[in-house]
Amino acid sequence: MLIDNILNYFYSGLNSSNLLVSILFIAIYAILISIMISVFAYVFGWVERKMIAKVQRRHGPNRVGKWGLLQNLADLVKLITKEKIIPEDADPLLLNLAPILLVGVVTFIILLMPFSSYLQATNLGLGLLIIFVILGFTPILLFITGYATGGKFAELGAQRSVLMLISYEIPMIIVVATVGIAAGSYNLTSIMNMQSGLFNAFLMPIGFFIFFVVMLAELERPPFDLREADSELIAGWLTDVSAPYYAVALMLDYTRMFMGSLLIAILFFGGWSGPILPGILWLVIKAFVISLFIILVRVAVVRMRVDKILKTGWMYLLPLSIVNLLLTLIIVLK
Amino acid sequence: MAITRINIGPVHPSTHGVARLVVDLDGDTIVKVEPHIGYLHRGVEKLVENRIYMQSPPYMEKIDYVAPMAVDELYVATVEKALNVDVSEKASYARIILLELQRIASHLFFIGSVTNDLGQSFTGFMWGFMDRDKVLRLLENATGQRMFYVNMRLGGINREFPKDFEYETKEFLDYFEKRLKDYENFIEKNPIFIQRMKGVGILNLDDAINLGVTGHVLRASGVKYDVRKNNPYYKYSELNFHPKILSDGDNLSRFRIRVMEIRESIRLIRDSFYKMESADGSMVGMPVKLFSPKPTNKISIVNRELPRGEGLMYMVADDKKPYRLSMRAPTFINLAALNKIAKGHKLADLFSIFGTLDMVMADVDR
Amino acid sequence: MSIEKKDLVKSIEQAYSEGYTYLVKITAVDYVKTVNVIYILRSLDKNQDKILECELDPANLSVETITHIYEGADWYEREMQEMFGVRINGRKAKRLILEKWDGKGYPLRKSFEWGKPYEKE
Repeated sequence: MLIDNILNYFYSGLNSSNLLVSILFIAIYAILISIMISVFAYVFGWVERKMIAKVQRRHGPNRVGKWGLLQNLADLVKLITKEKIIPEDADPLLLNLAPILLVGVVTFIILLMPFSSYLQATNLGLGLLIIFVILGFTPILLFITGYATGGKFAELGAQRSVLMLISYEIPMIIVVATVGIAAGSYNLTSIMNMQSGLFNAFLMPIGFFIFFVVMLAELERPPFDLREADSELIAGWLTDVSAPYYAVALMLDYTRMFMGSLLIAILFFGGWSGPILPGILWLVIKAFVISLFIILVRVAVVRMRVDKILKTGWMYLLPLSIVNLLLTLIIVLK
Repeated sequence: MAITRINIGPVHPSTHGVARLVVDLDGDTIVKVEPHIGYLHRGVEKLVENRIYMQSPPYMEKIDYVAPMAVDELYVATVEKALNVDVSEKASYARIILLELQRIASHLFFIGSVTNDLGQSFTGFMWGFMDRDKVLRLLENATGQRMFYVNMRLGGINREFPKDFEYETKEFLDYFEKRLKDYENFIEKNPIFIQRMKGVGILNLDDAINLGVTGHVLRASGVKYDVRKNNPYYKYSELNFHPKILSDGDNLSRFRIRVMEIRESIRLIRDSFYKMESADGSMVGMPVKLFSPKPTNKISIVNRELPRGEGLMYMVADDKKPYRLSMRAPTFINLAALNKIAKGHKLADLFSIFGTLDMVMADVDR
Repeated sequence: MSIEKKDLVKSIEQAYSEGYTYLVKITAVDYVKTVNVIYILRSLDKNQDKILECELDPANLSVETITHIYEGADWYEREMQEMFGVRINGRKAKRLILEKWDGKGYPLRKSFEWGKPYEKE
């Protein structure tokens, strides 16, 4: 087939023995991925507004474009064209650098993910571990955004995000390790191949549950959106900065959500495995459905308090993740 | 650790109007809260001294813009007492129906704003407002206005109920009883909601009495005081009214009392419609005229159970105008208790406490 | 019930010990010749209200604080001080209740003319 041929050609380019060609292809791939991320973030901005509106018995955006599809574009243009104000206490270098680095981290992680057996920047043996090492940078970058603005609300938000970090990082790593043990490899492709019979979500439901909760915290989706708790901290680090940063922060939220859903899809729902449709579509569809769930959670729950999150992390998630590890060992090793 | 002082408000997403709270924080824990009020002070008590009696109700309605009719009724009842005007039996029931509908609307506002304060992306808020709007439509049908009714007249209300009002109200109540179960399942039984509310913001019985808090805050702390029961006005004594009392004194009790009170109001409205059929007299009061009867009582004190707590008016009557009108605003004294309740809690809880105290800043400042 | 200024705190304390533990309202009325301070107390057990009225001389407007009996009295006293100029002796917090008013006079006194343009002190 034509598509397969193109992908095949692309794949050989990515893994070319010539370093220059390889770098060129990876750059092209990165651009394509960035475009996909942006499209996804845009679509999700719309889907979230529309879906929440439906639950809340409203109409949602319905004026700009068909079904309000262009509403977010209009908002984005409005936000970006507004005056850019940086407060006096802020550190402009860090403030501008942190969002860019965050985008970089997210893109890099998605680059490492296999979209089909051909589409992958590089097939690393320890891909899973590398992804989580890089993911570990995001809370630090978010923390920096909090301190860089110099506001008290942002500072409080930053403190909270660090507290949250302590509570969910360890269960997350244990669950990830469990997935690796079950697959017998930290290679993402083999993890997906391992799930061709039974998805990890069904093999280790406890692990899936923990990972989903932890991902909500990692992505700072409600009920863990403490850093930007609008009724308490106004908007966290966005309180003192002006509109363009808000636009960036919104886009960042959705790209991070995309990344999180992709991770869940790969680790627990077999990644690109599925009948008829090509693998890349399956992966995106799965990520899409998972994102819908993440959004639905937002509608239903109230925000958690930081000490309760700590308690949940240490008292429930950590023991559960160890139980999950033991159960998986029993099943896998028989 | 160093104490951080942050300034919240006057414009803030969850201060229910323009309140300014100066909060001293130790890390994320509250050391002291000092409410600064007065941003909405309009001097209603002074304005009233320069108006003839029935010119004032529009001002009264703006005191508590969430439940305007209740404050209006309190004022008109005070004037009625001063001028010695009787309210007919039928008008009493009509007023009870309208006031209880107003109470439901106000409590729905409360449910919505509390869930919003807790950070539930507007779902409870939209639900509450959606159903509140249905109540407002009923009230519009009965009074002719959607929000600021000005429908209280000396000795009654401004006009007869329209023919379809009773049917529509009963239809709404049937719908709303079912809908209230949704609220309970979706909000009140939500584990994270309970986690955030239970045991938070406890005000024990002695403190509640000593601080003089009122309304649902007092009843959530276990004090059996509801003006409708203890000092019944109109026909509340004939309606077999049961005040709702819980004893935990925390946020969850304050929230649950509100939901229980909505149920009680629904029952009261049904009963009143039933009893109104055999009631005597006309529900229409005196038209507003430049010359009203001469006051017979120099000093009249009237208290009413407003949706937000006990309201009391102390009026010294003059010939045409009030010589002095002093109002006890329920939220004013509940806000005074904020420091005591919120001390030692996390910053996140400050807003749930502030929300469950049910602040309307216009009412605080008057 | 009318009481003398010097007996004020004593009679409120006595009322408290009689079971009037709930303070409903503190307010004042300016009768030009006198300014009356009114305390409305309530007994929750007996379901009864008690109204204490105290006449003050406009030249010497001050009462003792009752915050040591009723904690909730604080805000009412602050409001009264701001609106009527009734000085509250023995009150700890010096800040008034509403935002600072730097005009002349006390708004709810009869000498305060309504509708006049704002005049700075």
